[in-house]
Amino acid sequence: MALLEIDHLTRRFGGVVAVDDVSMRVAEGEVRAVIGPNGAGKSTLFHLITGVLKATTGEVRFADERMTGLSAHAICQRGVSRTFQLTALFPEMSARENVRLAAQARGARRWQPYGGTPIFAAADRLGDAALERLGLTHVAHRPAGLLSHGDQRLLEVAMGLAQQPRLLLLDEPTQGLSVEETAQAVDTLASLLDDGGLTVLLVEHDMEVVFRLAHRITVLHRGAVIADDVPTAVRADPAVQSAYLGGID
Amino acid sequence: MTSWRVLLVAALILALLPLGLPLYALTLAIEALILSLFAMSLDLMVGYTRLFSFGHAAAYGLGAYTAGNLLLHTDIPVVFAVLLAGAFSGVVAIGVGWVCTLATGVSFSMLTLAFAQLLYAVAFKWTAVTGASDGLAGIPRTPGPFGLTVFQSKIGFYYLVLACLVAAFLFCRSLVASPFGAVLRGIRENEAKTRSLGYNTRRYKIAVVGIAYAFGALAGALYAAFAGFTNTELLFWLLSGQVLIMVIIGGAGTLVGPIIGAIFFLIVQQYLSSYTDSWALFFGLIFIGFVLFIPGGLLGLLSGRRSGGTI
Amino acid sequence: MDLLGFLITQCLNALSQAALLFFLGVGLTLIFGIMRIVNFAHGAFFMLGAYVGYSAVQLTGSFWGALLIAPLVVGGVGAAFELGILRRLYGRDGNAFLMVTFGLTLVMGEVIRLTWGVAALNVPLPSALSGIVFILDEPFPIYRLFLAGAGIVVALVIWQFLERTRLGLLIRATSQNAEMVHALGTDVRLVRSAVFGIGCGLAGIGGVLAAPLVTASLGMAPNAVIDTFVIVIIGGMGSFLGSAIAAVLVGFVQVFGTYYFPDLALALMYLLMLLVLVVRPGGLLGREA
Repeated sequence: MALLEIDHLTRRFGGVVAVDDVSMRVAEGEVRAVIGPNGAGKSTLFHLITGVLKATTGEVRFADERMTGLSAHAICQRGVSRTFQLTALFPEMSARENVRLAAQARGARRWQPYGGTPIFAAADRLGDAALERLGLTHVAHRPAGLLSHGDQRLLEVAMGLAQQPRLLLLDEPTQGLSVEETAQAVDTLASLLDDGGLTVLLVEHDMEVVFRLAHRITVLHRGAVIADDVPTAVRADPAVQSAYLGGID
Repeated sequence: MTSWRVLLVAALILALLPLGLPLYALTLAIEALILSLFAMSLDLMVGYTRLFSFGHAAAYGLGAYTAGNLLLHTDIPVVFAVLLAGAFSGVVAIGVGWVCTLATGVSFSMLTLAFAQLLYAVAFKWTAVTGASDGLAGIPRTPGPFGLTVFQSKIGFYYLVLACLVAAFLFCRSLVASPFGAVLRGIRENEAKTRSLGYNTRRYKIAVVGIAYAFGALAGALYAAFAGFTNTELLFWLLSGQVLIMVIIGGAGTLVGPIIGAIFFLIVQQYLSSYTDSWALFFGLIFIGFVLFIPGGLLGLLSGRRSGGTI
Repeated sequence: MDLLGFLITQCLNALSQAALLFFLGVGLTLIFGIMRIVNFAHGAFFMLGAYVGYSAVQLTGSFWGALLIAPLVVGGVGAAFELGILRRLYGRDGNAFLMVTFGLTLVMGEVIRLTWGVAALNVPLPSALSGIVFILDEPFPIYRLFLAGAGIVVALVIWQFLERTRLGLLIRATSQNAEMVHALGTDVRLVRSAVFGIGCGLAGIGGVLAAPLVTASLGMAPNAVIDTFVIVIIGGMGSFLGSAIAAVLVGFVQVFGTYYFPDLALALMYLLMLLVLVVRPGGLLGREA
C-alpha cells in the first residue's frame, strides 16, 4: 500500500481542465518530483492533495484514508504539510515564532486559551530543531518578513518539517533563489532527505535539483501524466523531451 | 506589551481615584471605564484577529437591554445581572459569529453591520422587551447578595466597574499570550497559511467574536445599571463607529491602546462639547487623519512605532 | 382586490424599488471595477443626496432643480474626497480603505446632523409627479412610475456611456487592466477620480429620488450601504449588467417580502446577503471580490 494514492484526479475550471485524470502512487519514504512546463497543473495538483481546492472527480487517499472532500486543515492534521509557490509566512513574527506556530498546530492543546508554557516549550523543541536542520538558527529572532528570499523559502520548509509530517509537499522550494542559494538549499534538502523517514512530493523547475533529490519523477503536461519513472528513464523519454521543447539537460 | 510595573501603577491610580475626585467627575470616570471595557473588547477582534466589526454596538445594546430586563423584572443582584448579561450575549454572539464568519473581509464587516441594524430595528418594534423608542427606564441597581448595598452608591459602583475592567483586561492579556492567542496572531498575519498549518481558523474566529461580544455586552450592562436606562441609541451605528475609532486611535492590537482611545474620546467629548456641537465631527476627522498618517495609534506614537500591524 | 391588478401594481412597485437600488448598486460596482475597493461611504453619499435634494427644493422651489443639483454636489464631494484622501491609500492594506471610507461615513453623518438636524425631513414632490393613476382599477402613485422609468432611462444612458464614449471605454479598460491603460498614456488617476465622483453622484441621485418616499433621515446610511452591498454581491463586483439584474431581483424580493412579512424587511435583506455570500461568493456575473 502506497502512502499516497491518487486515482483519476481531475479538476476543471469552467472549460479548462487543469488536472486531467492524474493517477499516482507514492511509496513511503520516497522522494517524488513532479515536473512539467508552466501551466502543466503542478500547483493545482498540490492544492487538490492538500484540500485547498476541491476535485471535480477522482480520489486522493493518504495512509489508506480518503482525503478528497476534507478541508485543508483536516488534511494537514492527518500528517500532510506543505510549502507554497508564493512564499507564505507570518512576516511580522520572528522565524522562531513561525516554526513554533507550525509545530503548535499538531499538538493536542493547540487551542488552549490560557497559559501555554509547556505547549510553547514543546513546540519550540520541534521548531528549534527544524530551524537548525535548515541552517536558520542564526536568524531565529529576525522577523520573517526581513529575511532574505532564500532564507524565507527555507523557513517555509522548516515550518513544514516542524509539523513532523508523514508527507511533505514542497512547491518549488528553490524558486527565486540565486545560484549559490540554490546550491546551499539543495545540499540542505539532500541531507534532510537522506535522514529518511520523510515522504516528499516535490514540484521543481530546476532539473539539476530534481535529479539530485528525486527517487522517481512524474511528468505532467497540460494537466495529464505523460511519464512516471525513475530519473534516467524520464530523461530519455521522447514524449517528455518534446513537451519541454528541446529536451531536458 | 506594557510592563507590569506601569500597569500596576495605573491600577493603583484608578483604585485611589474616588478618594480624590468630586462626585460629578466620578461619573465621568465611570463612563471612561465602561467605554474602555467596550473598546478593549473590540480590540480582540480588530487588533488581534483583523476582524473588522462595524456593528459592535450590537454587543453593547444587547448587554444593556439584557441587564435592564434582568434588573427590572427579577431580584437578581446587580453584580450577577451584569455578569449574566455579558455571558448571555457571548452565547448569542457565537451564533452571530458563526453566521458572519461564513464570509471574510468586507463581507464579514457588512454582516456585522447588518446584524447590528437588525437588532436596532428589533429594539424599535419589540416594545415588551425593549420599550421601543422610549427604551427602558428606572433600572434599579438591585442590592445583594446577602443584602450588600455597596454597589448602589456611586463610589461602590465605580469599584464594580473597575473590577470588571481589570478582570477583563487580565483575562484578555492571558488570552492573547496563550496558544489560542498565537493562533489569532497567525490569522491576523496570514489566515490562509494558518489554515494550511492545520488550524480550523473559523472556529477560532467564532470564539473571538463570542468573547469580544461578551465583554462588550458586559460594558453595556454596566452602563444600563449605572445610567438607570437604556434606549435604541445604544444600538445605533454611530456608536459602532465611535468604538471602532477609539480602538484605531488608541492603537489596535495592544489592549491598552483602546483604553487610551476611549479616555481620549471622552476627554475630547467633554472638552470640545462645551465649545461646539460638532465634537463628533472633529473626532471622525481625527480618525481619518490617524488612519492616513498614524495607523499605530496613540500607543504606537508613545512607544515609537508609527505603523501598526492592522491597517 | 383584483389579482391581476395587484400583481401588476406590485411589479411596478418592485421596478421602482429596483430603480433606486440600481442607482446605488451601479455606482458601487463601477467604483469597485476601477479601484478594487468597496466604498463603504456609499450609503452616506446616498443620504447626502437626500438632504442636499431637500435643501435644493427649499432653495429653488423646484424638484427638477434638486435632481440636477444634488448629484453634482454629491459627486463633487466624492471626487474631492478621492483626490484629497483616498489617493494616499493606494498601495496600502485594503483595510485602510475600509477604515477611511467608514470614517467618511461617520463624518458625513455628523455634518448632516449639524447642518440639517436630527429630525427626518420631508421632500415634497412636484405637482406633476404627485397623484395617482389607475392601472386596472388599482391606484398607483405616479411618482413610482416615474422612478421605474427613470431607472430604465439611466440604465440605458450608462450602458451607452460605457459602450460608446471614450471615458466609458477607458473605464472598462481600466477595470480590466489598469497598468496597461497607464502604459498607453492615460492618466489612470484621473479616471479613478472621475469614476469615484460619478459613482457617488449616482448614489446622490438615488438619494434625491428616494427622499420623497422615505424622508431624509440619519438612519439611511447603514441600511443603504447594506442594500447596495447585497446588490453588488448578487450581481458580481464590477459588473454593470449584474447590478442591473440584481437590483430588479432584490426589488422584487423587497416589495413582495414586505407585503407578506411586513416586519421582516431588514431581516430579509440580511438573509439574502447571507444566502448569496454562501452560495456564490463571487456573485452571479462578477469576478472574485
